[in-house]
Amino acid sequence: MTETRFYDEELKVAFPLIVQDEAAKGEFSHFLVPKDLLPAITHHLHTQPSLHGRLTLLWAVDNRPIRDAYGLHYLFTLGASRSWVVLSTELAEGDRLFPSITPHIHAAMWYEREIRDMFGLIPQGHPDLRRLVRHEHWPKGTHPLKKNFPWDHVLGRQQGEHHFRRIEGEGVFEVPVGPIHAGIIEPGHFRFSVAGEPIMQLELHHFWTHRGVEKLFEQQTLTAAVPLAERVSGDTTIGHSLAYCQAVESLLHIEVPRRGRYLRSLFLELERLHNHLGDVGAICNDTAYALPHAHCGRMKEQIMQLNDKLTGSRFLRGVNRVGGVEIDLTVAQLAEVVAEMDHIEKDFSELELIIIHNASLTDRLETTGVLTERTAWDHAVVGVVGRASGLDQDLRRDRPFAAYDELPVKVVNYRYGDVRARIRVRMDEIHESMRLVREIRLKLPQGPVAVEPSRRAQAREWALSAVEGWRGEILYMVMAGENGTIHRCKVRDPSFANWPAIQQAVLGNIIPDFPLINKSFNLSYAGNDL
Amino acid sequence: MLQAIILVVAQMIVLLAVSPFLVGLIRKVKARLQLRRGASVLQPYADLAKLFRKQPVVSTTTSWIFTATPYIVFASTLAAGLLIPIFVSITPLDFAGNIIAVVYLLALGTFFLMLAGLDAGSSFGGMGSSREAIVASLTEPAMILSIFAIALTKGSTNLSTIVHKTALLEGIATDPSPYLMALAALLIVALAETGRVPVDNPATHLELTMIHEAMVLEYSGRYLALIEWAAGLKLAVFLSLIANVFAPWGIATTLAPTAMGIGLLAYLLKVSGLAVLIGILESMFAKLRLFRVTDLLGVAFILALLGLLFFYILRS
Repeated sequence: MTETRFYDEELKVAFPLIVQDEAAKGEFSHFLVPKDLLPAITHHLHTQPSLHGRLTLLWAVDNRPIRDAYGLHYLFTLGASRSWVVLSTELAEGDRLFPSITPHIHAAMWYEREIRDMFGLIPQGHPDLRRLVRHEHWPKGTHPLKKNFPWDHVLGRQQGEHHFRRIEGEGVFEVPVGPIHAGIIEPGHFRFSVAGEPIMQLELHHFWTHRGVEKLFEQQTLTAAVPLAERVSGDTTIGHSLAYCQAVESLLHIEVPRRGRYLRSLFLELERLHNHLGDVGAICNDTAYALPHAHCGRMKEQIMQLNDKLTGSRFLRGVNRVGGVEIDLTVAQLAEVVAEMDHIEKDFSELELIIIHNASLTDRLETTGVLTERTAWDHAVVGVVGRASGLDQDLRRDRPFAAYDELPVKVVNYRYGDVRARIRVRMDEIHESMRLVREIRLKLPQGPVAVEPSRRAQAREWALSAVEGWRGEILYMVMAGENGTIHRCKVRDPSFANWPAIQQAVLGNIIPDFPLINKSFNLSYAGNDL
Repeated sequence: MLQAIILVVAQMIVLLAVSPFLVGLIRKVKARLQLRRGASVLQPYADLAKLFRKQPVVSTTTSWIFTATPYIVFASTLAAGLLIPIFVSITPLDFAGNIIAVVYLLALGTFFLMLAGLDAGSSFGGMGSSREAIVASLTEPAMILSIFAIALTKGSTNLSTIVHKTALLEGIATDPSPYLMALAALLIVALAETGRVPVDNPATHLELTMIHEAMVLEYSGRYLALIEWAAGLKLAVFLSLIANVFAPWGIATTLAPTAMGIGLLAYLLKVSGLAVLIGILESMFAKLRLFRVTDLLGVAFILALLGLLFFYILRS
């Protein structure tokens, strides 16, 4: 707490025009900033060595139903202390322009383009104002997150062409890949510029699975939207539902019982396990080394069947609810979970040795798709990919949620940033998750697993929540509307933060290594496109 | 004359019948090593039957090369198969060509496949063709040299003579090193030419990593069936070549029915054994980086060259 004060005072001294919102003292420092000061103060937060702020989330809110203004909010995570600073500004009375911070904070690139597409607010000075979410065939002036845009409006079509950055020259070719792929994966377009096999440039063109998730949240009530959160990205059911529930619980001032929080940690680790196991196998498979793929597939299936047995859902749907969890586990069930962990860990350790000692595999993984620490930091990369590039960050340790305040997590960290580092992070985290599951069983307290919400959320009140899902930081900002409705729900899957970094990681690699690099990131399309 | 025709037909039937089985066997071995049950070894036959019944879809941007290629590839590979001894050491088309003809009949098929890959104008086909060109141009000298090392010890480039002499243990060199070098070189060439791990991955769906599969991505229906069958034939040709040049024992050296029966049985055992070996190799290694493939093929070339040198050194 004292450290937060120090930041607050320093900011107030450096920028006398900003106003601190004392109401939000608990979880983060909140400042109201005049919009013209935004570039200067964000630059200060980002570059000042004592602050070392990472742009974590940037979101807009349409407040026009109540008063004629849009709200813009910038969330920074500060260096060592991992405390949060939120800067808020308002665009009042038909003002649609705000200063872009992208020129000096690269990570704001997609956020600002997204705000422009969704709200029609224009980031002045942004270096790349092409459309991001709304593809070119969307009619002009379509900004779905504006409050006067009906959620069930059927869009017309217009002619339009997306302009890719082009490299021209002797022997330079463009290779378009997707959005339809040969495997059973989601749609995404990748545009390569190659000279022979080496990749000179990669540009992503995503957002094909845009379903209007954030708009759909606004049609729901706070307590009923959990199933929607579970489906934001199908492979991250617990991560998303937990982040959503936590935000709502903080709006409703609910204290989740300890047993409920422990079970949430347990299910989050189970989700991490089945996804990481799948990824380790899939990375090997993309080098045509199918043996680990088969075994990892088996272990992943064992965990998913365990999920099914415990909760009735292989993907752990219907586990989280506002106020706690739906499912309580018996002593016998917990013993079964731990027995299954022991069984799988024995097999996995054996497989791990095979993977590490296979020279031909190591040759493929090492030095492939290097994402340097500096590039990762500039893109504000999160999760597994960040930890493989030397970014020491894990919300389970840095901002404990669920039961992690009582369950210390050993954070895995590798420096090299290549595919091998990314597979190593996953392999180490599998062991750590299994250890955590065992510890949860030993420490699991008695008591209820959920409480009923007793009070209503105050309209216009908003809360932030963060969960370290298996991919990385999942962030939710939920703002309450009238009578328990949702005024705005900002969803940030880790994929949205990490996708742009792939464009850097592939440079200098050859085209046939791209699928491997992409698999080692393994990002969600649905979670990114929303 | 009649005898030769019967022999041609018999060898053709054996090759055509065995090749899908070899493909199925490799898949089966890989599946078993991954603790999967795997599809039946007869699955490739069912796949071919299905594809032959399907209507082919041909892009409007293609030229005659696209539709002619499957037939050219299939015919040239089959012709190459008829130039090597399979279960009788007397090759049916003995008069028509020697080992050099085999190499360039296979190269003809590869050449047309590369053209067809470019023909449809898709980026994946072009990538496949350009990669195949690298692989093909590097396997060719290694293959020629390794066969020459053997041909020198037998004093003939005629495969029939080579196999016949070896089978009867005539002119066996006292030092096996030229053979071993050539065998190693030819094994690498076989893996590269038939698109197996560690050079290519026949099981992948990732277009960006493909070599052979990328060239034939545009094919469907009976054209695809012909190309798949030709790929299986090529595998059979290489496995037969390795089996019969380096271990021809069991092969029929006369046209007596019992000898031919034993020869056929021995042949099936040998090529099945090699197919199992390929399945095991594929399960042990990751695919090489594309630009490391040239290193591997360079090794094959050096091995073949050493085999050739050893022959001269040992002789003097």
